[in-house]
Amino acid sequence: MRVVAWVAAFVALAALPFFLGSYHNDVYRKLLLWVALALGYNFLFGICGQVAFSHFAFYGIGAYGVVILLFQVGLPLPIAILLALLICVILALIVAIPATRLEGFYLALVTLALAQLFIVLLNEGGTVTGGAGGIANYRLPPIFGTRVSGPTYTLVIVALLMLTLALLWRLDRSWFGRACRAVRDNPEAAAAMGVDVARTKVIAFTLTSALAGMAGMVYAFVDNTVNPPIFGLENAFLILFMVIVGGAGRHAGAIIGAVLLFLLPFWLSPVVGHHHQLIFGALVVGAILLWPKGLVGIWDRFSR
Amino acid sequence: MQDFLELAVSATASGCIYGLMALAYLLMIRPTGIINFAVGEWAMVAAFGGHLLLSRWEWPYAAGMAVVILFMAILGSTTERMTVRPLVERGAPLLAPILALLGVLVVTREVISVSFPPDPMPVPFPFDIGRLELGPIGGSYQSFFIITVTALVFIGAWLFFEKTLWGKSFEAVALNRRAAALMGINLSRVTTLSFAGGAAVAGLAGLLVSPNVSAHYLMGVPLAIQGFTALVIGGVGRVEGAILGGLVLAFAEQLTSRYAPIPSGFAQGVPLVFLMIFLLVRPTGLLKVRA
Amino acid sequence: MRKWLAALLAAVSASVLAQETIKIGVITDRVGVSKPYSEPATEGVIFGVDEINRKGGVLGRRIELLIEDDQSRPDISAALARKLIDQGVVFIMSVSLSPATQQQQTVTMEAKTPQMTPMNSADYLTTQLDNPYFWQTGPLGSVQIATLLAHARTKNFRKVAVITDNSDLGQAIAKAFKGTLEKAGIQVVADEVIARGATTAMPQMQKIRAAQPEAIFLAGVLTAENVLIFRAYRELGVKFPIHSSYNLSVPIYETVAKGLVNGVTFVDAYDPEKAEVKAFEAAYKKATGKDPQNLHGYGYDGINLIADAIRRAGSTDKEKIRAAMQETDYAGVMGAKGMRYRFPAGKRVGFDPNGMVVRVYEKDKQGRVLHVGAK
Repeated sequence: MRVVAWVAAFVALAALPFFLGSYHNDVYRKLLLWVALALGYNFLFGICGQVAFSHFAFYGIGAYGVVILLFQVGLPLPIAILLALLICVILALIVAIPATRLEGFYLALVTLALAQLFIVLLNEGGTVTGGAGGIANYRLPPIFGTRVSGPTYTLVIVALLMLTLALLWRLDRSWFGRACRAVRDNPEAAAAMGVDVARTKVIAFTLTSALAGMAGMVYAFVDNTVNPPIFGLENAFLILFMVIVGGAGRHAGAIIGAVLLFLLPFWLSPVVGHHHQLIFGALVVGAILLWPKGLVGIWDRFSR
Repeated sequence: MQDFLELAVSATASGCIYGLMALAYLLMIRPTGIINFAVGEWAMVAAFGGHLLLSRWEWPYAAGMAVVILFMAILGSTTERMTVRPLVERGAPLLAPILALLGVLVVTREVISVSFPPDPMPVPFPFDIGRLELGPIGGSYQSFFIITVTALVFIGAWLFFEKTLWGKSFEAVALNRRAAALMGINLSRVTTLSFAGGAAVAGLAGLLVSPNVSAHYLMGVPLAIQGFTALVIGGVGRVEGAILGGLVLAFAEQLTSRYAPIPSGFAQGVPLVFLMIFLLVRPTGLLKVRA
Repeated sequence: MRKWLAALLAAVSASVLAQETIKIGVITDRVGVSKPYSEPATEGVIFGVDEINRKGGVLGRRIELLIEDDQSRPDISAALARKLIDQGVVFIMSVSLSPATQQQQTVTMEAKTPQMTPMNSADYLTTQLDNPYFWQTGPLGSVQIATLLAHARTKNFRKVAVITDNSDLGQAIAKAFKGTLEKAGIQVVADEVIARGATTAMPQMQKIRAAQPEAIFLAGVLTAENVLIFRAYRELGVKFPIHSSYNLSVPIYETVAKGLVNGVTFVDAYDPEKAEVKAFEAAYKKATGKDPQNLHGYGYDGINLIADAIRRAGSTDKEKIRAAMQETDYAGVMGAKGMRYRFPAGKRVGFDPNGMVVRVYEKDKQGRVLHVGAK
């Protein structure tokens, strides 16, 4: 995309909150965060072919990390951010390096266990993590003397989203993206072509987990609350569903999937009552059986 | 010491439940390679079926149990035919049916949630609540019932794989699908049978565990994870691995809970840490595949 | 000319009477883990609103309920609170999980909109945030344990055990229990947790037995896991008494734990002998044809407390409602005989610390009241 298009998108997304009421603004910000998460997950799962359930755990590690470092350890904001990011990276490496030596589903299982372990630790964390009640009653410290909140904070979220998209877009088109796809489609052939399969997987996992962590840090100041239910395992399934239904492997797919599945419960509630989960499950099954390329695939077929 | 023996019975009973769930996975993984996480929801469906037939309509236990298990077998084969078969025939990558089955998991859970009130539902025991003392070993009737039934199922499964022609054909498909097809083994029939069997075994586990914990619609995911952990520990290669993995997991959980000097809350992390260690250090499980 | 004027007057007065309704928001859970508690409470609210509207409404206007489902997801809960505020509600009632109620508070504090929970019992809801627009009229965990202890005082316990589950509320109630027990000089010799999805509570119960307590205090709120605790208790043949939080007052235990709970005492905010309760049960049965549970009473009291505050405020101005709510002095369905909801000295917890009763399960049913209050 040309620079003009990027700038225009940024301006449009950033300006929108000034026209929306506070409720719609809230939904909008969370939607943007979910889109950012979906983009990262799509890179890991759709482009690199790795199934992992730890995306939300890293979202939580970033969020809790920055809050604990800022308010309990008392570090200044930039250092707290960097340190929290470092923790995400190190943890991702610890998980990815041994897991990628094994094939197939093992990363999925290790990350499944990690996601659950994270919640157990949060719940048992006593005064450090606030236990089952979480941590609340904090605010983003002033940046250069000004308090950033409300529609202005949405700017930060939009910036995060655009950076995530830009980064993943570039990577996708680079040799690294090609290596990831090669690993996804045929690891043996990829190895034969000289791709270091294990290293590619590790980098993809660590990178996307770090991005999830960054999104988490931004989230921490959206509701100014962090508690265990927000980062639970059900969300990991939801993000997987979003990417599948939207169309795995394509950024547009991740965006469409995230927007649809995030907003659907709000729209369906008055109509179907509360059984939108049923519809999601059915959508996923339908997507895999009937439209394996996801909604993006259907769009492509129409625009041909 | 008394405590330990008592705990041993309880851990064995829990280990049997985990083992049955692991067996359910195994029956489907061996011939097809598909990991079906919906087994947990299948166990839940059977539990609710048990509530309906045995508690609400008050059927005799053996009849109710048989009907529920039969229903589960049909449910399993229908699931296979509708969501797995089209993908396999299309030559879709292995990941596709696994993900589709995740969707089935959610759909199953929601269907049950819609059909029953939100509270946990009681499921009756086959025998009254009481204790059985066999020398120094004592436990509830239900624990011994679970252990006995599981033992029978595993013996049956072992005999199936070792001695029957069908069982051998499962093995053949597991080893090499194409060769098996060339040898005249009906692949689709094997797959359908494996799903029917997996569902029936998962359903049995649900029926056995629900008198103790009641039937409620969130019971599926924990069972699925416990079963899977047991499978990883024991190894996918052999039927005995499933029950071994289940027992190791249950004993580790309960012994840690009882004797380890760590706060109770952290004891929940034990099975998870176990799973992670096993995956990273010994992913093929405790028992090696037979050559 | 007269006819024309009469018609005009009629039209004007009709439009004045068909005035704006008073909008009250309810955030409940229809799909998630809180559903078994939120659903009956919401039904109680709906029944309460029908009754109020039939009797003429509040300040001559009808109450309009805007009900939202937060699916037990706290982040969605906060967004829904904003939605309700944008739609013009003057009060928000929270009948979902405690963390959801907490997350809604960040919004209501910012938007200066009154919010209350008639049911949540987590102690941290009024302490973690200093939100002058939030009130809690559910029975706190600390009140529950104080009442249980008062009943057990004659037995002079010195060593007890506490057992709970790993849910948010279970942990909060256990924390309240332990704090109060320790302050009363009673030693907590065992402190166990049953994880969600466990297949047995045997190891935890054995550990408790080995510590030889004189009683067990049950703080768990997950039905299936509580049933496991009762089973292990029976299987091990343990004899010391079980005293439970208000979770056991939910009638489902009569069916799902049949034969296991006789003799277990629990705190409840529902005294079936109270006149208001009998009137409520009769009216509810007449209107809906079904028998209400105690959970319905929480919702019913909640909406009546809100209506009472608005009446006393004399307007729908949020600040006036806030002031009026703080001055509440109301007798409802829940609570012991003679209990009144009050917010003493600027505090925002309205359930009288002496307002709970201790009941016991007899013959598989919730039985008589053994003790009233925390004295």
